[in-house]
Amino acid sequence: MLQDMIGSQVKLFADGVQTVLRGQENRNRRVVMLKGNLVQNSRSEGAGINARVNHHGTFGFASIGEYSTEAAEKVIRAATENALFLSRHSGRNTVLPPSTGAGTVPLNREIIDTEQKELIDLCRKVDDYIAGKYPDLTSRTVVYTEDSQDRIVYSSDAFSGHLTTPRCHVFVILEAETKDGVPVQLFKAFGGYGSFRDHFTRPEEMYPEIDALYGRLMDKKEGVYAEAGYKTVILGGMMGGMLAHEAVGHTVEADLVRGGSVAGPSLHQQVASPLVSMTDFAHTFAGKTAPLPVYLDDEGTKAEDAELIRDGILVGYMNDRESAEEYGMKPVGNARGWTFADEPLIRMRNTCVLPGKSTVEEMIASVDDGYYLIDSGNGQADLTGEFMFGVTCGYEIKNGKLGRALLDTTVSGVAFDMLKTVDMVSNEVEWSSSGFCGKKQPMAVGMGGPHMRCKIMIGGR
Amino acid sequence: MELKTAASLTEGFLKEQQITKYSYTVSQSEKQELNLENGGFKLMRTVFSGGGSVRVFLGNRTGSASGNDMTEQGLKKLVEDAKAAAESAEEDPCHDLAPDQGRDVFRQGTTEEDPERFIGRIREFLETVSREYPKVRIMSGRGCFDRWSWLSRNSNGTEFSAFAGQYSFSVEICASDGNKTTGLDYAGFVTDTLDKPFLEMADLRIKLENIQKSIDPQPLQGKFEGTMVLMPGCAQDFLWMLMSNYLCEGVIISGTSQWLDKVGEQVADEKLTVSLKPFDKRIVVGERGTGNGFRSEDVTLIEKGVLKTHWLSLYGANKTGRPVVKNTGNDLVVEPGDKTLEEMIASVDRGLLVGGFSGGQPGANGEFSGVAKNSFLIENGKITRAVAETMINGNLGEAFRHIRSISREQLCNGSSAVPAIAMDGIVISGK
Repeated sequence: MLQDMIGSQVKLFADGVQTVLRGQENRNRRVVMLKGNLVQNSRSEGAGINARVNHHGTFGFASIGEYSTEAAEKVIRAATENALFLSRHSGRNTVLPPSTGAGTVPLNREIIDTEQKELIDLCRKVDDYIAGKYPDLTSRTVVYTEDSQDRIVYSSDAFSGHLTTPRCHVFVILEAETKDGVPVQLFKAFGGYGSFRDHFTRPEEMYPEIDALYGRLMDKKEGVYAEAGYKTVILGGMMGGMLAHEAVGHTVEADLVRGGSVAGPSLHQQVASPLVSMTDFAHTFAGKTAPLPVYLDDEGTKAEDAELIRDGILVGYMNDRESAEEYGMKPVGNARGWTFADEPLIRMRNTCVLPGKSTVEEMIASVDDGYYLIDSGNGQADLTGEFMFGVTCGYEIKNGKLGRALLDTTVSGVAFDMLKTVDMVSNEVEWSSSGFCGKKQPMAVGMGGPHMRCKIMIGGR
Repeated sequence: MELKTAASLTEGFLKEQQITKYSYTVSQSEKQELNLENGGFKLMRTVFSGGGSVRVFLGNRTGSASGNDMTEQGLKKLVEDAKAAAESAEEDPCHDLAPDQGRDVFRQGTTEEDPERFIGRIREFLETVSREYPKVRIMSGRGCFDRWSWLSRNSNGTEFSAFAGQYSFSVEICASDGNKTTGLDYAGFVTDTLDKPFLEMADLRIKLENIQKSIDPQPLQGKFEGTMVLMPGCAQDFLWMLMSNYLCEGVIISGTSQWLDKVGEQVADEKLTVSLKPFDKRIVVGERGTGNGFRSEDVTLIEKGVLKTHWLSLYGANKTGRPVVKNTGNDLVVEPGDKTLEEMIASVDRGLLVGGFSGGQPGANGEFSGVAKNSFLIENGKITRAVAETMINGNLGEAFRHIRSISREQLCNGSSAVPAIAMDGIVISGK
């Protein structure tokens, strides 16, 4: 854990600008076992300090890969000089955003390190289980990955604090072949927020879900290609989460709104069915800790939820302090940087479509001819809200019952069109916290959603 | 700390731990970055960084550690962490280091920044775009000058060091007219010279022209089988997918590549030759040493459609009994064809000119499906309109076996040289 060696340097903050000083360490642990071979076995740590200075709408940022009092002084001076230098070229002269409060946010939790041997032993145990029980697989990969952020933030006119975000996951990837020799693959992530001991002291707890994954892979082995076209589907919770993040979330990040996203002219408009509501949760969901809680962002804003869609109406954006002032909204802690060398950008935290009232069973029973799309490998969207998600696991629905499994396919659409077709929403939410969002820098994010019945384009031949 | 001092300290700690087989790299870097937003300067960023990575072998066990603490204490911890990782590892005789490659110093790109001229080029670009492409918006962008050095040694005697630097410039663009807008597109390049206006570098002008023509794209109706003409940037994306699916270490070790036993066989159309060429003059800073400690070499992976080799590191080669490829870089060079892009389009009855592909990594069987971005419908040899909500579907292996033509023009962006590629038999579907 970082010791506070930088707080004494706030005395160097210049007058007439807004300054944030951040000390940060990122730790990574990674073990990869491919078909029983240990192909990666590594640990890395990166610590340093950065400062960001807002000089009337022009920003200076500087960072050094060294965690010391002297380094703090250097970055404050360099960031201030950068802001002043660039302001001569930028022509910007905006009023600095007002303070929304100041104080200290308490440390949320400790980061607990684990010896590499325990990580390898875990992967070996899981790999042995899979190899012993399922010898018919053509390949298997077990990956242990851990990344943690440890941040100390001091701001000139906002909150300060020492916060951590530890995260660890085991990924299990299983591969088989169809009778025609075509390889098929499925994967599952275990773990989440916290350290090794929070999730992996009893590996056998993963086995029932590995068994279920194998079962779905065997279904997929006998699977068929989806029929291309505009179809009625039930999107599973993981797909709902992907939709919340990729197709809607990015378009309502205020920097992208400023850049011309479809959400700009859609504020206070009906963008989805009245059954759809969506929020970017800060640290708590349904009374429990959210998948990747954020208590304080890297501008010193104390984190609160950002309500985005209420009953189908677009009601807000995700902001940093500057954009919040521009759009007349309250900043609620979305400005985050991934490493000490990264400036804060507007990022999602735990973005989720809220649950409705239907059960998954009645939703499936309601479809005569369509698809149940359970899991996604990846997704992308752009400013117009046009999105694409890869579908790695799904089934046909015929006369209200699940049919044959699907081979990999892709779905696409335009978010604010597709969301208007949602006519059933399930009463439970599934979360994912294993992914990274890419937007200049990576960022660990949580995403969640309920099952949704809607119409969507399915790709295929 | 000086790199040589850091290296000597690391070497000393390795000896102290009685480690006789190892490799390590120490590095330093500096970045000056100008960030753009909405056509203007927004943030100036300076990053001073450095670090070390150590790999330790204990018999047939190996482990590695990396970090950015370049103090004596930090380097000592790095060695201890790498040793602990190796002690925890399992025996695998396939892990190894390249034999002695001698000593060398590599100097590449430019290590002297001209900040006033650089900011001037960026300002000139923004002003020209605003004047010549009034409907285009520079949503965001970055101009960087990066300078770095590294020193790498291993216990077999190899010692490489490098001093390098480059400018890079990239933009995210869209276009709008009233409430009608386009999706996003990206363009960029790396260079070691500021002699040319940025608008004339790589494919920046083409990208700006195309996005201005893409305002209010319309969905395609129905489905047909036709030709997709991949613009060079998109062709590059498809080539990386191809290599990842059929040539990379993971799919060869796992045995799931469909080209597992195809070396020496025709796997693609004879018009296709794909190489990794770090020594190509158009590559500003190419790879000089591989992750396993070899001197990097230019390598041809596919020559006239024939698979020459898989893309295996020393570990992958030892594991599978196949040849090692002395190249772990990304310096992609694809040989040009004999037609202009205009001639390629003119030969297509029905198809798409595809500027970008929004889709995931295809499954192991090569089936791909995704959305065509920044794309135009081609009918009877002519571009007729921009399209939205249009999907392209096919199989990677089949698509590269059905190459219709490759362009004479190559996109040279300082890190790769790739032409446009047209492929037949692609299913193109709309609503």
